Amino acid sequence: MRALIVEDDNTIADFVARGLREAGFAVDRESDGDAGLAAASILTYDVAIVDVMLPKRDGLSLIEELRRKKVATPVLILSARRSVDDRVRGLQSGGDDYLTKPFAFAELLARVQALLRRSTRTSEPTTLTVADLELDLLTRRVTRGGTSIDLRPREFALLEYLMRNPGIVVSKTMILSRVWEYNFDPQTNIVDVLVSRLREKIDRPFESKMLQTVRGVGYRLGGGGGA
Amino acid sequence: MSAFDPRPRPAFGLRIAAWYAGLFVLGAFAIVLLTYYLLSASLVQRDDQVIRAKLGEYATVYTRAGARGLAATVRAEQSVAPERLFVRVVDRGVESIVLSNPEGWDPSKLEMVSAQLEDGTLVQVGKSTEARQDLLARFRATLGLITLLVVGVALTGGFLATQSAVWPIRRLTQTVRDIIRTGRTDARVPVGGASGDAIDELTVLFNAMLDKIETLVGVMRGALDNVSHDLRTPLARLRGTAELALAGPADADRYREALADCVEESDRVLVMLNTLMDISEAESGAMPLRRETVRLAEIVARAVDLYQEVADTKGVALAVIAPAGDAVVFADRTRMEQVAANLIDNALKYTPAGGRVTIEYGKDEGGAVLRVADTGPGISPDELPRIWDRLFRGDVSRTERGLGLGLSLVKAIVEAHGGSASATSEPGRGAVFTVTLPLA
Repeated sequence: MRALIVEDDNTIADFVARGLREAGFAVDRESDGDAGLAAASILTYDVAIVDVMLPKRDGLSLIEELRRKKVATPVLILSARRSVDDRVRGLQSGGDDYLTKPFAFAELLARVQALLRRSTRTSEPTTLTVADLELDLLTRRVTRGGTSIDLRPREFALLEYLMRNPGIVVSKTMILSRVWEYNFDPQTNIVDVLVSRLREKIDRPFESKMLQTVRGVGYRLGGGGGA
Repeated sequence: MSAFDPRPRPAFGLRIAAWYAGLFVLGAFAIVLLTYYLLSASLVQRDDQVIRAKLGEYATVYTRAGARGLAATVRAEQSVAPERLFVRVVDRGVESIVLSNPEGWDPSKLEMVSAQLEDGTLVQVGKSTEARQDLLARFRATLGLITLLVVGVALTGGFLATQSAVWPIRRLTQTVRDIIRTGRTDARVPVGGASGDAIDELTVLFNAMLDKIETLVGVMRGALDNVSHDLRTPLARLRGTAELALAGPADADRYREALADCVEESDRVLVMLNTLMDISEAESGAMPLRRETVRLAEIVARAVDLYQEVADTKGVALAVIAPAGDAVVFADRTRMEQVAANLIDNALKYTPAGGRVTIEYGKDEGGAVLRVADTGPGISPDELPRIWDRLFRGDVSRTERGLGLGLSLVKAIVEAHGGSASATSEPGRGAVFTVTLPLA
């Protein structure tokens, strides 16, 4: 997988590039709009991460130009503006997703992977499996090592989301928007509560613990192992 | 600012004055000319009538009494009549006898009418036009003088009228220029009077606009002050955590702990910043509201769904009642969800295990009502008015996690929708928060 980062802030570009390389991406970096456009037009990337405020050519114009040239590379827009209008403008210019600064790298990675999934269009599985944990989307049955686990609807939705992103840290914001479709931060940590309830059911009765908390970042469903 | 010429066009007032004076003078001139023409025409006509009447009379006298008789009549008449007439008799085209005083007649200033009698005698009566010309000349002089006067009045009047019309505009321009130059939005244009004309209306509206801008700028400035103030504490915590870790012995686990603290703290700063911006936007009226018709039942159901797990875990019952049926409001759905969620969040936070949070919604005489009641410790009367303040957290809640912004946001959003938020409490028996919104 090859990713292009167009971002003029070196610290952010470093942090994103390092994270993506650790996740197995080959990463190219450009720090202005013109260079970014040139790179994205000539080389084939699986995904591009483009900042809105760029020297020489802004991110939205870069994306528009790219789409005019019929380059269909999925684009994740980064911006410091969080208003709905800016989001809409970003998506209208041809961007595929929009992430507001500051962000957790886990969230960026999950969004990038969602874009890749969308662009490769693998056929939708009916069963999700992570290690000995199995979730059947049709019968809505969950088993771990053959033992049936009874989940409430929200717990099921959370587990499904985690199992669709195995090994990836998902942030609380992402869970909130995927599981409840809420796009603001409630004061109480609702996600914490749901995660501990789920953990009670899928981890507590078993030897190896799958659902890990990554402090300050989010949660990860792994293939078992330590706490 | 380059496209904007700060000088008013000086020709503007002058042009209006010139137009005014021009039209005024033209009108006056037309009246004067007409008067002159009518006067002179009627004078000519009168002279002509006088001459013809006399001619008829003299012809009769001549026929009856001959030249001598006519001469006697003429002399007798002219000794009493103020207006002398020229009378001449030409006997069969041969002998001409002037019967009136023969001297002092200028043929060029004589208007004459003749009558041929049956015997071929020609009787002529003439009248000097001198008096008429004199009169008209005097009239012309007077008219000229009047015209001059009219032009003077027109120019002065035009100038004054234009000045009084342009002056308020000048004042407006001056104020705008002052505001642009100094950036002070507290400048106001003095209102001319109670005449209520278009310019006064413009001035009043202009001042109203300035009031609005000033309020908005003030609120924004205040919000900025508040935000920078409110962010200092969490930023200090963030910095302190990092500094403490750096100052201590190098130890990977300790560092990891400190870094995790920093990430969590910076997330809190972000949530706080967003919430503070939301509150400021809602309070200043700058919050964009995507209004649609929204059923309260949906909003409540979603919020209850969000908090059901939390309530279960805490051992608090969440009950929803709608005794008067559903209510529909015209509001921003996400913002309304935020209002309901924050109220439930707040109630759950203060309700101990075994307690109960009741969410009631429906119609009331005041509009659509959303009410959240808890069985917590309640709020003391002296704290009750302050619960809506930003970052206010009651003594009871100091240990609870939260930003102290939830209720402020509720109030700001509800008021931005034209509604109101209130709270009542009996200490020891819980609190009731009520949000009222206009019905759709």
